[in-house]
Parts: sequence; C-alpha cells; structure tokens
Amino acid sequence: MIRLTEACKRYRNGATDIEILRSVSVEIGAGEFVAIMGPSGSGKSTLMNVLGCLDTLDTGAYELEGKRVDRMDALSLARLRNRKFGFVFQLFNLIPRLDALRNVELPMLYGGVPSAERRLRAAAALERVGLGERCHHVPSRLSGGQQQRVAIARAVANDPDIIIADEPTGSLDSRSSDEIMKLFADLHRQGKTILMVTHENDVAAHAQRIIRLRDGRIGEAA
Amino acid sequence: MNTELANRLRWRLWLDIGLQAWYSLGDRRFRTLLSVCGIAIGIAAVTLIDVVTHGGRQVVFSELQTFGLRSVWISRDRQLVNPHKQQRTGTGIDNADYEAVRNSSCCTAFMRMSPMVLGVPGASNVARVGRRYSQVQLEGVNEDYIAINNDHVVKGRAFTSVDIQRARPVVIIGAKIREELFGPAVDPIGRELILDNRTFEVVGVLDKKDRSLLASIGSGQDANGRVLMPYTRVQAMLNSDQIDVLQAQVKEGVSAAAAAQSAANFLRSRHRDAYPYRVDTMEQYVRTANNILDGVAVIGLIAASVSLFVAGLGILNIMSTAVLERTREIGVRKAMGGSESDILLQFLFEAGFISLFGGVLGLLLGGISSVVIARAANFPLDPGMLFNGVSLLVAVGVGLAAGLYPAYRAAHLRPVEALRYE
Repeated sequence: MIRLTEACKRYRNGATDIEILRSVSVEIGAGEFVAIMGPSGSGKSTLMNVLGCLDTLDTGAYELEGKRVDRMDALSLARLRNRKFGFVFQLFNLIPRLDALRNVELPMLYGGVPSAERRLRAAAALERVGLGERCHHVPSRLSGGQQQRVAIARAVANDPDIIIADEPTGSLDSRSSDEIMKLFADLHRQGKTILMVTHENDVAAHAQRIIRLRDGRIGEAA
Repeated sequence: MNTELANRLRWRLWLDIGLQAWYSLGDRRFRTLLSVCGIAIGIAAVTLIDVVTHGGRQVVFSELQTFGLRSVWISRDRQLVNPHKQQRTGTGIDNADYEAVRNSSCCTAFMRMSPMVLGVPGASNVARVGRRYSQVQLEGVNEDYIAINNDHVVKGRAFTSVDIQRARPVVIIGAKIREELFGPAVDPIGRELILDNRTFEVVGVLDKKDRSLLASIGSGQDANGRVLMPYTRVQAMLNSDQIDVLQAQVKEGVSAAAAAQSAANFLRSRHRDAYPYRVDTMEQYVRTANNILDGVAVIGLIAASVSLFVAGLGILNIMSTAVLERTREIGVRKAMGGSESDILLQFLFEAGFISLFGGVLGLLLGGISSVVIARAANFPLDPGMLFNGVSLLVAVGVGLAAGLYPAYRAAHLRPVEALRYE
C-alpha cells in the first residue's frame, strides 16, 4: 500500500544542512499496525509527516496505492490527506473555539459531506470513543484523555484507510494512555492501517512491526 | 461527478467555510469589534458627507432660485475706470436705451425684462404707517419683475402695465415690511404708507423668501424688506430718466451670459463707448456655488477615504495577528484536508465579515447622525441617500483588500511547519 524508496530529506539550519532522512526505504501493507521508534532527532516525526503527505521529499519516491505522491501538487495532496489519512497528534490539536462535534466534523467539511450527514456521522464517531454526551463541550472543558479521544473520533470520521499518530499518548497519564491504545487496537481490528510514532515500549508493543530509526536511517526491524 | 453537483458541493463548502470564519470571529470579540468600529466610522463619514453636501446643495439652490435661475443683470461697471477719459455721470442706461433694447434684434433671447431704479438718494428710506416705522429697500420696477424674480403676490395684486405707464403711486411690500408696518392682524391692501413724505397705496404683499443662508455669509439683500414701486414713479420722484440695472430673464436653453453680453454690447455701441458695462448672470453664480460645493464634497470624501484607509490598515493588522496566532490551527485544517483555497476563503470571509458589519453599522451611524444634523441645520433629507449600497460595497472591498495578504500567507503556509509552530 505504502512504498517509500530511497527517501531523503534535508533541513537547512544556518550554514549547515542537516540530513534528517538518509535514503530511507519502507514498505507498509494495508491493515498493518506499525510503530516507528527512535531517539529524538532520529527523523521519526519527519518520516511520519512525509508518509502523511504533510511534508515533501527532497529526493526519493513515495508511492501510495501505486500513485506517485511526490509528484502531486498542493491541491491533490490536500485531497489525499482528506480522503486517505486521519491524524492524531501528541498535543491533540483540536480547534479551541469549536465544540467536540464541530472538531470531528472538520475533515468531512473539507470533504464536502453535507452538514446533516456530517452531524450524524460526527455524533456517531464521538459515541464510539465514549464521548456521546460531551458533543457540545469545547476542548478546554475536556480532560487530556477526552481531548485525545475527540481527536481520534476526528481522525476516523471521514473513514480514512490510514491513521497517522504522532506520539498519541505522549501527553497523557497511564490510565488515559491505556484507553487510547485500546481505541487504536479496535481501529486496527476494523482493518485500518496504523502508523504510530512513539518512544514508549509498552505502546509499541501493540504494534505488529516496529521500525527503528537512528540518525535518519532505518535500523533493525523487530 | 457532473458539474451541477460539483457546483452545489462548492456552494455548500463556501457556506461551511463562512461559518468557520464566523466562529473564529466570535472567539476574538473585542478586537473584532474594534476593527468593525474602524470601518463603521469611515462609512458613517462617507454617508454623512454625502447627505450634508446633497442637503447643502438643495438649500443653496432653493435660495439661489429666489433670484430667478435664468436672471441676468446689466449695469454700468463702476469699477472699470479709464483715467484718460473724463468720467461721465449717469448710470449709462436711460429709458430710451431700455426701449431700444426691448425692440432691438440683439436681445431676442430675453423672455422678460424689467428696469430697476434703486432707492431714492437723499430721501429717507424709512416707510411709515401711523406710528410704525420700517426700514425699506425701495425698488422701481415694471410688471415683469415679479415673474423674473420668482416672487409671488400672496395678497392683493401685481403691477399692471397701466400702473407703470401712468406712474401710479402704488406699492407692493415684502413680508417683513407688512409685518412691521401693519402687524399680522391687519389686511394692508388698500391702506396707505408714507415714504419720503409722499403717500402710496399698498396694492400687494409678496410671499416670504428665505435667503437666510446667503444672508449669513453676507450676500443677498433682505428680500423681505423690499418695497416695489412702478419705476416710472421712482423716476418721477427723482426727476430723472435713468435706470440703474436692467434685469432680464433669458429664454430656456439659451446661454444667459451670451444674451446679456450682446445686450451690453448693444448699449455700448449706442453710447459710442462712453460707458463700460458689466453683466452678471445667475448662471455664473450657480456655477460658482456648484464649484464650491463640489470642492467641499471632494475634501470631505478625501477625509472619509483616509479614515477608510486607516480602517483597512486596522483589518490588515487584526488579520495578520490572527494568522500568526492561529498558525497551528491552519496546520490542523490543512492536515484535515483543507486546501489552499479553503484556507484563503476562510480568512477572506473573516475580513469580509468584519467590513460588512462595519459597513452596516456605519450606515446606521451615518443615518442617525444625518437625521440629527438635518434636523438641527434645517435642511431637506433625501431618505434614499441614507442607504447607500455603494458605500457598503466600498466597505467590503476595503476589508477584502486588507484581508487578502494575510489570507494569502495563511493559505500558503506549509502544513508541517504550521503544525510545528509554537
């Protein structure tokens, strides 16, 4: 499903270029649950962003379902993110003034889903993460765990194939983390492909496969 | 997907994005309100200037109308003096000249004409009835004068040609003279007044004329203080055949200046260049008034544009700040599939909303203050001017122009950098 070949990514930092990704090649099949691990600065977030079409490659090829993503323009990438991907971030990244329901509606809004259908699907998604009664709470009135559950509801609302999660439990206590990981396990069972950056081993233990990054290169796979 | 469905989707997306913009504004109420006020003040100023100049124009023209808009005046030019020529006495116009102008082919553009013999030098200009006195402005005129000057006789009658021919001792008095000499209760028609120790019969009363604006800027005599008398009678009192001014009304569609000038030329050649003449036309006064009012309107509009420009800077500021503060949000929206045009549209909507509300509020403010000013300054108000669709368009245009750059910046943020923004 996902095939990344010889991917390179540099960042200019003052006078020196920093190579974040050095010739990374990865293949991920549909329905896989993959954890990406590595020390900070190893390039795992960059890899994640590239795979999620949030960032572009300097060289190398990215194929998604046989299509060359690295050759797409901004509009096609936006459409791709909208239809294929759901994102969950470490800091939840909910929009503060929108209530839970409207946050969850967002990907469907950009996908052109009519508003009545959007509301129903958003409410159902919140129901599935156990927040059916908190539809009209703004993020500041929700706990961290609840906010991340709203974010997961938002990520799956538009029914994407791939969930991209960047340290989804990084800001949560262990009880909330367990709840969140249970949700990811459910999503995996439903057939979603899950790519998750984490540095916690017990979180990575939920994954079928672990990709380890060090200095922008792929180390041993477990 | 067929195009109709795509269009409907697009339309709905616009609505949704408009709503997103709306929620964003609600989040920053105070700052939004300040920007709204900026636009509102600008638009209120535009409306006010529009209404005031329009109303002012009507006031000025209604007063100028009291002279007769097609009037011309021909008189001896006493400012032009040739030092090598001996000064001739006299007004340069006498009864023979008047008859000659009347019958000449030079002046067929005149529809009506009246000689004016002004005042009685040496005689008191105070009229008396019993023990009441009134200062008057005596004008010797003919039967055409009233029509030329847009006057109306509200009581009694106008002069007849017989009054003029026989130099009858009759007068038509202005509203102020009637008030001062007879009071409101007495019908002055048929009564007598004393002027220069002679007795005259009041045959008519003129309607009141309002020249308060012109009087307040020091021009225009008090139209209500006039006493009209057959010019032949005034000449008899003076024992002269001189005429001070020829006033005429030109036909419609004829150049007043040209008509008056040809009459002046005719007089000059009749007197073999002995006198210089000056011509005054209402046309030229109207043009002057128009120029002044246009100048006032332009200055006002420039001032209003400056305030609108500043309001636009205000919107530019609030939108730039919003883009900075909401960089992460923009990143999230892009991650969720928001395209560049979706983001651009949202920020343009926000700027557009601010200016639209500013515009509506400005129309409201401008309308209220216009009504207040119109009441206070007593000028006519055209209600159609209070809702000025153009200024609303201008307001929204200013907002969109100011919002364009910040919106463009927001739209072109790279998602990964926007998400990383602290």
